[in-house]
Amino acid sequence: MSDNRLTQTEPSLNPATADMINIKINGLDVQVPKNENLIESAKRVGVDVPYFCYHPRLSKGDAANCRMCLVEVGMPGPDGTIRMMPKPQAACTMPAAEGMVVQTDTPKIVKDRKGVLEFLLINHPLDCPICDRGGECPLQNNTLFYGPPTSRYIEEKRHYPKAYPISEHVVFDRERCIHCARCTRFTEDISGDAQLGFLKRGADMEVNTFADTEYRSKFSGNVIELCPVGALLSKSYRFKARPWDLHSQKSVCSKCSNGCNIKIDYRQDKIQRINARINEDVNEEWTCDRGKFGHDYVSSDNRLKTPMLKQNGEWMPISWTQAYALLAEKLKAAGSNSAGIGGAHLTNEDNFQFQKLFRKTLGSSNLDSRTDRVHGSETTLLSDRFGYHGMGNSIAQLQSFKSYLIVGSALADELPIIFLRVRKAYRFHGASVVSAISKKDSSSPNVGDFATVEMIYRPGTEIALLNGILNILFNENLLPSNPGVDLKGLQQSVSDWTPAKVEQETGVPAAHISEAAHILAAGTMALIAGKEIREHPHYETVVAALGNLMLATGNPENLNIPERVVNAQGAKDMGILPDLEPGYAPVAQLGKNAHEILESAAKGELQALWIAGEQILNTYHDKSLVRQALDQCPFVIVSELTMTETALLADLVLPAASFAEKDGTFTSCERRIQKIEKVFEISRDIKADWLIFSELAAMIDGSPIPFSAADIFTEIAAAITEYAGISYKSLGDGGVRWRSESSSTNTKIFTAIYTPPAKN
Amino acid sequence: MSSSEISGVREPQPDPLKEYRFSEDAIAEMEEIATHYPERKAACLPTLWIAQREYGGYLTPPAIQEVADRLGLSFSEVEGVATFYTMYNLRKRGRHHLEVCTCLTCAVLGAYDIVHKLEHELGIHLGGTTSDGEFTLSEAECLDFCGAATVMQVGDKYFTQLTENNVMELIDQLRGSPDYTPAKLADAIVKIHVPLSSQTGGGSSKPEDLLLPAGPML
Amino acid sequence: MGILNLLFANRDVLNIEDIDVYEKHGGYAGLRKAVGMERQAVVDDVKLSGLRGRGGAGFPTWIKWNGLPKNYDIPHYVICNADEGEPGTYKDRELMLKLAHTLVEGMIIAGYATSSIAGYVYIRGEYVEPAWQVRKAIDQAYKKGYLGKNILGIEGFNYDLHIHLGAGSYECGEESALMSSLMGERGNPRLKFPHAPLPTVSGVWQSPTLINNVETYCAATWILANGGEAYSKLGTERSKGTKIISVSGHVHKPANYEIEMGTPLMELLETAGGIKGGKLKAVIPGGSSVQIMTAEQCTKINLDYESCAANGTLLGSGGFMAFNDRTDIVLLMKRTAEFYMHESCGKCTPCREGTRWIFKIMDRITSGNGQTDDVALLLDVCSQIDGRSYCGLGDAAAWPIVGAIKAFPEEFDYWIKYKRSPVGKNAVPPTPEVVNPLLTLTPA
Ligand SMILES: Cc1cc2nc3c(=O)[nH]c(=O)nc-3n(C[C@H](O)[C@H](O)[C@H](O)COP(=O)(O)O)c2cc1C
Ligand code: SF4
Ligand code: FES
Repeated sequence: MSDNRLTQTEPSLNPATADMINIKINGLDVQVPKNENLIESAKRVGVDVPYFCYHPRLSKGDAANCRMCLVEVGMPGPDGTIRMMPKPQAACTMPAAEGMVVQTDTPKIVKDRKGVLEFLLINHPLDCPICDRGGECPLQNNTLFYGPPTSRYIEEKRHYPKAYPISEHVVFDRERCIHCARCTRFTEDISGDAQLGFLKRGADMEVNTFADTEYRSKFSGNVIELCPVGALLSKSYRFKARPWDLHSQKSVCSKCSNGCNIKIDYRQDKIQRINARINEDVNEEWTCDRGKFGHDYVSSDNRLKTPMLKQNGEWMPISWTQAYALLAEKLKAAGSNSAGIGGAHLTNEDNFQFQKLFRKTLGSSNLDSRTDRVHGSETTLLSDRFGYHGMGNSIAQLQSFKSYLIVGSALADELPIIFLRVRKAYRFHGASVVSAISKKDSSSPNVGDFATVEMIYRPGTEIALLNGILNILFNENLLPSNPGVDLKGLQQSVSDWTPAKVEQETGVPAAHISEAAHILAAGTMALIAGKEIREHPHYETVVAALGNLMLATGNPENLNIPERVVNAQGAKDMGILPDLEPGYAPVAQLGKNAHEILESAAKGELQALWIAGEQILNTYHDKSLVRQALDQCPFVIVSELTMTETALLADLVLPAASFAEKDGTFTSCERRIQKIEKVFEISRDIKADWLIFSELAAMIDGSPIPFSAADIFTEIAAAITEYAGISYKSLGDGGVRWRSESSSTNTKIFTAIYTPPAKN
Repeated sequence: MSSSEISGVREPQPDPLKEYRFSEDAIAEMEEIATHYPERKAACLPTLWIAQREYGGYLTPPAIQEVADRLGLSFSEVEGVATFYTMYNLRKRGRHHLEVCTCLTCAVLGAYDIVHKLEHELGIHLGGTTSDGEFTLSEAECLDFCGAATVMQVGDKYFTQLTENNVMELIDQLRGSPDYTPAKLADAIVKIHVPLSSQTGGGSSKPEDLLLPAGPML
Repeated sequence: MGILNLLFANRDVLNIEDIDVYEKHGGYAGLRKAVGMERQAVVDDVKLSGLRGRGGAGFPTWIKWNGLPKNYDIPHYVICNADEGEPGTYKDRELMLKLAHTLVEGMIIAGYATSSIAGYVYIRGEYVEPAWQVRKAIDQAYKKGYLGKNILGIEGFNYDLHIHLGAGSYECGEESALMSSLMGERGNPRLKFPHAPLPTVSGVWQSPTLINNVETYCAATWILANGGEAYSKLGTERSKGTKIISVSGHVHKPANYEIEMGTPLMELLETAGGIKGGKLKAVIPGGSSVQIMTAEQCTKINLDYESCAANGTLLGSGGFMAFNDRTDIVLLMKRTAEFYMHESCGKCTPCREGTRWIFKIMDRITSGNGQTDDVALLLDVCSQIDGRSYCGLGDAAAWPIVGAIKAFPEEFDYWIKYKRSPVGKNAVPPTPEVVNPLLTLTPA
């Protein structure tokens, strides 16, 4: 039942605290944390208190409005006898106190619940047969269990225009609204765009956007799940299915590297909708719109269903047998003169087989999964100073700092779930946020909405800006007294970066820089860097400068430069790198990196190039180089879902399975290994990438073909120290982080100040 | 998470490209009022009054946007406030907004007769505006001067002890008069927030002009 | 018993709104006395007086004054509830209009007693004229050094007074909704004890906040000037001092009358010139939110908290409305229902939906479509609101209806049975045909 309940409102039980108290619910004694609300306390003894407006993640100030959760409450008087309060109390906001007595099932409460439901149904259109919510509707459920069988209301109901779209994804049926304020609280408390609000008052009160404008948000889909009736609906799911007709499979979103836990609701081979799955360490219960509505491509009509070969400029379908024969012939001939690019979109299992095919079978280390502009070796500068991975903190930790520096990142777009954590820190824990970016993000919501200081710098002047901040920190003595490293050299090197000079260089007003410096030095601070940093031409130097700031302010662990693509982290873990094998072991024979691969292909030096699930034409900054490379290389293979622009430039295109059609694991930006499971099969001829690589290797050199992704994972766990001890089973529903904070081998952190080479 | 843990509002960021209508005096008034509170957001109601004055007696969406931008609030939040309170006009009113109290005492002492009379004489229904734009007629909830029933509020003034028989006299006096307009009401309310010593004279009238003798004292 | 002008003692003095005149008549003596005392002694004096809140609930004032924490690491605030919105009440209006200095003085005393840094007078937006008087009074008080820094030369006693006007909402008189409105939000009520700390611990901006009615502060001024003991000698056992009653309706001399607590209701009615246009039919003694009393019940009631409660009504805010025998109680209640429907903030289900439903039933009855079980339905709907709503407005909407059904059941039955008014051409004519109703249920 609880799994099928669409609203993810099951309150999570609060952990036991030091302050436990004794209360009595319906005669049952129970120990609960002090001040816990009575809905959650009642759950502990299996007592169901019905509710609509309550939600454990939303602020309480606007709650307690539906009055569904009324209970009778008594408190012991000075003489120990229980005195019942004259009025029933809303359990959702009533804090438990020592000796409290709670009754949830007295005749009075039974009548009160009937009364509330009768009131709610006065204006509800009761058009359940055509409502998407039907069957999983809290209003239906509560009415069934607690409601009156009939209504005494005989007047005209309130009428509004029926369902009309308020955004690209959301349709609003205002007649059905029960004014629980969940959606309005969501936009204010969680997403922060404050787009939905109550207008007017009394019986006229309604939810709306400002002046009927479009509901613009990157998180709008969540309100569909939050709404306890069918007032906010999904445009794409509307009238598509009855909930009891759907099958549901647990999965992980593949749209970015946050690794949000989702549920795929499907019928036959079509995804009908995607809802969030609770994972307190990752997405809590939220999704972003990209993840929730962005998976149509899986069931799209354009999916490749057979291998395609380009002959004389014409595409013709061929069989897998033909494809394998051709591949074996060409790749064997190319041998170490072959190269592979991609992997950030593939599973760990795919990648593991990918690198095996190249390293073992073909003897080539020309592998790279990094197609954004980050180049150079993973082992040098960055790995010994920064570890092999992008994030010092876990996603969940990112809600608990005093201040944040967000650099070069449209965070809500790039890493929506991390954005929500930062926003939570600001909203509920009073954190201050400093944003530094070269181009102001004007979409909604964004970090600028709540940043105390927003520094818009000239592109490429990050280092000057960071030097400026350090300069103020040193000059005003804002740094912790005992940094553990010698900062003299650093102080010296930033000494002439005066605020005035930095202002001139970066265009950021000196006052802002100073304010930012004060905020960042005021307490524990975390830094999150984004796209502008990753794509920086002097990436390593900027990262070093960021590291210096973190080291100087005493926050060396809290540097985060997260990967952005779904399994970019995993692809690196699996050794899709020119210089590192799985588990970051150095290779014997250095391969070419993505840039070098493309260059040598362009020069006609490469004989075969395999692009695995990567639209490199879009992701790589130098498009003409890509075109030239694909043009000049005699045999280009692309494994893809559809005929992408990149695929069109290939010689052979292989139909690959999407994340919904295969088993495997992804490793998120915080190094959380999570399982995805096969949901359905669209065509027999679509193969998981790992199977393609394995079958091909078997043809060339007789390597054994693993039975399943789980098999490969066992092999990975054996081969890679970071994954050691983890099994498919131990991943569970929530996944496991490698090198988590709790383990002894903590993330590598900065230990020394880096002085960038003198500019010339 | 109790509400006390929730933190406040972002800093105001008026958009330099937008066409705002607040005069310099109005901005000075707004800033003065904002200093009265520990949070800028608290100046929302007074600033909406300023907007109502600056935008000619009623609040348009751009007016609401200007208030939101200047205070660093979200548009829908300010719209929610503007639509909650009945004294903010969301549509243009006549030069005189006749608000007849029809609550208990007034109703018992003939307020509805006055409403009928006005409807008949002005040729409009409740909520309507005369074609010459002089009068808008509304019903008001208790204006709380029940001892002087029947009471009608016009702009910044209460007119008391009205009857079916004397109300048209009042209407004739009001016709064409520049006093007691919605903008003057807004202006008076803004002024009341500001100490007389620091008033910048942003509105059309001096505060002393607005200090009318009270209605009949009982 | 009877008329006793304490607060109103100087009401009719010429130019009493001017600070010099006010001082000549003993103004600011209470404040001077207060600042010569320990803060706690001021609270104790208020305690001794037995003063109870005049805003409606009658809560002992000193408990609030005493309830603010004694450590001052966060600022404390004083708020005056001058949002007088209760139909039938207009005492705060007159107090502000004529005796604004008494209010200002009371708020400074409260500020001193609670070590607050600022006070806010929340005045309803319609009260432009009274608010101007308060503005002038505050400005004059600043000039004389009663407000501002180091008031009356007392080192560290810094206290500012600001005015904040509402914009048309009865609900904003409810103290937590008032705080929302003061903080620039919709006038929705906030969580109350025991769901959240008391305002005296965490009120506006999460700071300790004292909130009282205009009349309460004015009474505090008198108490400090004349001593709590003097005040406590007036009135009844548990209702001390005087209360200003706003008399309106079918009386010859409607006005604000300051009476000693415990004055018989009929005595006040007499003072107000008696009923005009007929015989006494009913009285609502404490504003529209309280139960209506029949003429017979009126003879038993004394105007104090206990006597009213014993007779099934409340003294409330003192909005005394008398009705003659040509008044149609059912129509009156329909108008009352309309008021609460219109003023409901909409936050909670019972009040939002219930007040509208009550109005619809009343409307049905008074347009000749009443059903036989409508009275039972009304009582049931009221019981579903009363005590279940988020704030007191829901209760206040239910009580008068229940009270009227109790007091005048035959009038409801008459309407339902004969589909017309039991009082012939009645004093409350039916609502005019509404073209643009107050309550629009389709978006514009
Ligand atoms: C719906 C509602 C409306 C109220 N309106 C007012 C009001 O207009 N003026 C007032 O002083 N108190 C009003 N009150 C009472 C206040 O909530 C509060 O009790 C009062 O301000 C406390 O002041 P006191 O202790 O001096 O009485 C109202 C209460 C409710 C529930
Ligand atoms: S009872 Fe409910 S709807 Fe009514 S005013 Fe209070 S909170 Fe608002
Ligand atoms: S869940 Fe408690 S009032 Fe809505």
